[in-house]
Amino acid sequence: MLGPGIAAYLILSVVLFATGALGVLLRRSPLIILLALEIMLNAGNLALIAFARQLGDGDGQIFALTVMVVAAAEAVLGLGLIVAVSRLRGDLDVDRLTSLRG
Amino acid sequence: MAALAWIALFSPAAAVVAIALAGDRISRFAAGLLAAGSTGVSFLCSVAIFLELLGREPEDRSELSTLWTWLSAGDLEFAAEILVDPLSVFMMLVVSGVGFLILSYAVGYMRGDEEERRYHAYKALFVFSMLLLVQSGNLLLLLAGWGLVGLSSYLLINFWHVRRTAVAAGKKAFVMNAVGDATFVLALFLLVQRVGGLDFDTVFSRAPAALGEGSAAAVLVALGLLGGALAKSAQVPLHTWLPDAMEGPTPVSALIHAATMVTAGVYLIARTSPLFELAVDVQDLAAVLGAVTLLVAGLVALVQTDIKRVIAYSTMSQIGYMFVGVGLGAYGAGLFHLLTHAFFKALLFMAAGVVIHALADEQDIRRMGGLARELPWTFRAFLVGALALAAIPPFAGFFSKDAILASAAEAGTLGWILWAAGVAGAFLTALYTFRLLFVVFFGEVSAFAREHLHRERFEGPRAMMWPVAVLAVLAVVGGLLQIPGVWHAVDTWIEPTVESIEEAGGLTAAASVLASLLAALAGIAVAWALYRRPGDRPAAIRRRFPWAARTLEQKLYFDEAYDAVFYRPAAALAVRLGRLVEEPLVLRSLGGLATGVRDVSDRVAATQTGRVRGYVLALAMGLAVLAVVFLLVA
Repeated sequence: MLGPGIAAYLILSVVLFATGALGVLLRRSPLIILLALEIMLNAGNLALIAFARQLGDGDGQIFALTVMVVAAAEAVLGLGLIVAVSRLRGDLDVDRLTSLRG
Repeated sequence: MAALAWIALFSPAAAVVAIALAGDRISRFAAGLLAAGSTGVSFLCSVAIFLELLGREPEDRSELSTLWTWLSAGDLEFAAEILVDPLSVFMMLVVSGVGFLILSYAVGYMRGDEEERRYHAYKALFVFSMLLLVQSGNLLLLLAGWGLVGLSSYLLINFWHVRRTAVAAGKKAFVMNAVGDATFVLALFLLVQRVGGLDFDTVFSRAPAALGEGSAAAVLVALGLLGGALAKSAQVPLHTWLPDAMEGPTPVSALIHAATMVTAGVYLIARTSPLFELAVDVQDLAAVLGAVTLLVAGLVALVQTDIKRVIAYSTMSQIGYMFVGVGLGAYGAGLFHLLTHAFFKALLFMAAGVVIHALADEQDIRRMGGLARELPWTFRAFLVGALALAAIPPFAGFFSKDAILASAAEAGTLGWILWAAGVAGAFLTALYTFRLLFVVFFGEVSAFAREHLHRERFEGPRAMMWPVAVLAVLAVVGGLLQIPGVWHAVDTWIEPTVESIEEAGGLTAAASVLASLLAALAGIAVAWALYRRPGDRPAAIRRRFPWAARTLEQKLYFDEAYDAVFYRPAAALAVRLGRLVEEPLVLRSLGGLATGVRDVSDRVAATQTGRVRGYVLALAMGLAVLAVVFLLVA
């Protein structure tokens, strides 16, 4: 087996996931939140691929492909919503989009 | 033969369905013809069955026909079965024959009324229900017919549903009948428990052993059945609904509240006579209540001013005679009076209908008068009916009423008391009948009549006149079926089903006939003296006995008494319960429930801030907690 072991991949994946999660929690621009979400998804993908490699079967790769499809769809929908919201309200601050409060 | 009986039963039912489904695709006239025609088919079938039975040996004249098992519960099985025997065929002939005449009359009477089709459908429904009642082979199916006639009676009494009084009268009839139905059902429960079945064969063969003669159970069963009979036949004390039922159209009064349904009680007692004979005291009670009713109704009829109510009270009174007959065990005489009464009472109602029709729906006899000259044929028909009702020979009522009185004369001390009541009743009958006749048809033509009288080609539409003519003929000759001391066609015919007691013969019978005839003639004479022409003699009598007049005009205060005993306490109780129970327990508790739910939901809603980052934080923290838990568990 060449290259670093599985632990290195997982550590990188955790770091990426934490970065993405912090981005989602801390930033207020929906565009950035969407970007951070992509980072989280790809952290997951990295872990899946690493495990697939470790176990020597293709299951993880198939999951990763599925996640990519979902991520693409999510990006399309999310960007569309963001464009619509910005046209409607002029500003893009998720903290002000509270019209759904109970 | 059984097939014919089923056709007779279901032909009116088919007419109901056809009229209901056809809606306004057929004309109103066609709907009427359909109803009358289907009843005519029933009548033809009944005649065919009658002729076939006539050709058989008397003990061979009973046939049970089962279609399917209608209900089965444990050991109990109730079949959809009909019994064709002399008694049921007798009733079928009366119901479908008189029914056919009255339905034909109704085609003319109801012409141009709103919702005519609904009327004809209800009427056919009634004929079906009544046939079911008299044809059924077990008590459960009889009860079904019993309920259905009550329903169709209710529907037809408040047929003119925009009249407040008609709706109230319908409700009253329904409620009073429900009382009787309840006692009837209780009797059936007791029978199921003790005898283990409800078909006539089982009940009558096992009842003597299972119930025991004169036992408490036998008395209760008979009392329950009697309660049903009293309510349906409008006998004291469950009689107050019948006069109010006159709010319905006149043909309804003629068919349901004179000729057929109200005589169902008489049929019931005759049919279940083996049960009544196990409780002789109850049967005597039936006769006594019949006698009381015939006197009470006869007295009240003297002061009524509505033409139909007078005839209604006379119906109660005549059914009282029938109850005396069947109560004493003179089933043949009672049923014979049922038959002749169906003829002459339907005739009187229909003649009254012609008068009401000609006077633009006026029913108050004080506004009538002198109509003999204007409506000569109606007058003649009415006269025939009145003579038959007053039991003047050779009209039908004479023979049947005297058969009952002659039977009473042979039945010991109680019989003689009932006989005396019957003779007094004969006097009252003649008096109120001829009061009605003289006030309506004699004297000068009243101002109201001059103004409102309108006649078509004849005295009424042709569809109305021919049934009246047929019934008039029957009211004249119907009595010849059974002549005391000569032949007893009705007694002999129903003998395979129920055996009647002997009636008095010889000198007693002759004396009985003479006494009742004299009483009737005296009644007519008094009516002639008082009411031949409008005068102040009736008013003078009223002034001398104001309390008596008032008591009679208030119908002996039965309605007021029921109001005070049942209605007002119940209403007061309801008001109190409303204040003490409904208000605090139901209304306020509901309010409290709503406030509580709203409070909780307000608090839950407060967590929904609408801030996405808050949600994400909650999500992340939840995930973190889960991760820690999993790590610890692993």
